[in-house]
Amino acid sequence: MNSVVVLILGLVVAFIGYRFYAKHIDSKIIKSDPKRATPAKMYMDGVEFMPTSKNILFGYQFKSIAGAAPIIGPIIAIQWGWLPALIWILAGTFFIGWVQDYSSAMVAMRNDGASFGGLSHKLISPRARIILLAFIYFYLLLIAGAFGNVVVSTTIALKAAPMAWLFLTVGGILAGQMIYRWRKDIILTTVVTVIIAMAGIWFGTIAPSDSIIGADLANSRWVWAIAAFVFCYFAAVLPIWRFALPINYVASYIVFLGLFFGIIGIFILHPDFTLPAYTGFSIRIGPIWPIMFVTIACGAISGWHSIVSSSGTARQLENELDARPVGGGVMFVEMMLALFALVIAGTIYASSAEYGAAIAKGPGGIFAAGVSKFLGAIGMPAALGRSYGSVMMIVLAITIMQLVIRFMRVATSELLSDVSPVFRNPHVGTFIACILGMVLVLTGWWQYLWVLFGGANQLMASLALLLITAWLMSEGKSAAWAFYPMIFMFITTIAALLYTSYSLLQKVISGAVKGEALIGNTLMGLVGLFLVVAALILGAEGMKALRRYRAITKAQAAAAAKA
Amino acid sequence: MSEEKKKGGFFSAVKEFVYGVAAHDSARFALKSRASMEHLFILITMGDMLGVPILPPYYSLRLLPYVVPQISTWKRRMLKEKDLTDGLA
Repeated sequence: MNSVVVLILGLVVAFIGYRFYAKHIDSKIIKSDPKRATPAKMYMDGVEFMPTSKNILFGYQFKSIAGAAPIIGPIIAIQWGWLPALIWILAGTFFIGWVQDYSSAMVAMRNDGASFGGLSHKLISPRARIILLAFIYFYLLLIAGAFGNVVVSTTIALKAAPMAWLFLTVGGILAGQMIYRWRKDIILTTVVTVIIAMAGIWFGTIAPSDSIIGADLANSRWVWAIAAFVFCYFAAVLPIWRFALPINYVASYIVFLGLFFGIIGIFILHPDFTLPAYTGFSIRIGPIWPIMFVTIACGAISGWHSIVSSSGTARQLENELDARPVGGGVMFVEMMLALFALVIAGTIYASSAEYGAAIAKGPGGIFAAGVSKFLGAIGMPAALGRSYGSVMMIVLAITIMQLVIRFMRVATSELLSDVSPVFRNPHVGTFIACILGMVLVLTGWWQYLWVLFGGANQLMASLALLLITAWLMSEGKSAAWAFYPMIFMFITTIAALLYTSYSLLQKVISGAVKGEALIGNTLMGLVGLFLVVAALILGAEGMKALRRYRAITKAQAAAAAKA
Repeated sequence: MSEEKKKGGFFSAVKEFVYGVAAHDSARFALKSRASMEHLFILITMGDMLGVPILPPYYSLRLLPYVVPQISTWKRRMLKEKDLTDGLA
């Protein structure tokens, strides 16, 4: 099949989903009312609750949810063939993805902007809140591990990447200094710092890492894992304006320009898929169901989005009608991003063997090769394109990773400060988060780590859908459109996590792994099992709540019939 | 903010989108930092309003007129339930 057909198919699905399905739900079931005061208006404090235009929020939501996951998922999942991946991306977004993103914002908006902890307390049970928060901590740890692995494998596979990453960091720090300390003009700052970052991409091609620090260090996973977590350490302990935010600011231009011109390149080259449409039910990382459904996480549905929608966007929407374009619309854009990654993985290699050799080194190399090819269509030299693609991959992974480490620090302080005051120290919390993340990166096989992250992410999504279903039932609204996706996601992700944990721990028990892999397998297997147990308790609590709401609805209907 | 911007055309929408991608987060964080400082200040001067046992000093009374416009949002933010996810977005 031709890649342009895939992109057009995506646009058609997005149009039908957004224009008809989402509109139907929004106007007939949720009954969005432009006259109803949103939390942003009711509780305006000029900080968190702040009425904001839907265009700004569209950009904000897109930036917050579009990390590395929608790109890496399809690149790995194409191992089962491009057709199952394509069907899951389209169907997952249409029936589940936007439902979750949009409804999370809507539930929070109709509950005075409450966050998930408060909502689970109110809609399910007091115990649900504690379990949900513990679940989120381990979920964040898996994000740090999986994305850390992406950074490490990309820097090893592409020797131009470290220099480009270094220049980006310098440009970002300079941007923070220029804006907040020297009070320079924002346009001047942007131009100077983006040029520095671009110069780094070029410089990376003429000064690859192995020519500077030697091949041994340039190929060492330890070196790049330490570099990644030191970067995250600074992002977590320094004031946010000095490090994390300005680097993300400069990086957003690199990513945005790369995606824009890359998609133009696809339309110019419009290559055919060269990899097989379907390879088989079971491959090395597991069977297509349930593993593929968690491998492609953010491109189809992602629990991360529900957190952004409920705690961030819902407090800024100035009109209920804006929830559909911001919550739902951005998910369809993310679907297009996943299709872009699928086209890259499916078209740039001549055979499955070539793809197989590339994926063994990690997904970053494949993405960079694709970016290089499609930017080549508009005249960029191949080496420069690869360097550009590698820094895009690092940026997409590390922006989420640093955020995650920062919040693991906060979580450590909140959860453990009663045990000992030492946990209140920001350096202690950050250090614990970095060490745990590094252990995962250095000892775990990255494909299993990715599946576990995907499983935790999708499980988070099914818990968000559980909250949404509980809210719909408590309001007496039709809930089937959220209930069935929730059941599907719940069963699929529990199966995926159990399968992966079993595979990992079985190797530990049988003595098939030793040394580093033994630590990695044990840690990943136990985290997977913990997530399953937490989700089962939450599921049981949730089902009790749903039965309670159903009984209330029936009693009300019976009372109405009598009257 | 939005009423007059809504009337703008395609380019203003694109401008807002780019702002949303690149800078909205930074602006929110800057506001959050300032707000948390202000809230801390109000807490140590006017904490008795929330039941924090602070003997209201003379200067708190002098400051009261300046703090009055912020009292309702300050109270709401101080008493609102917060969890991990609040920090993430």
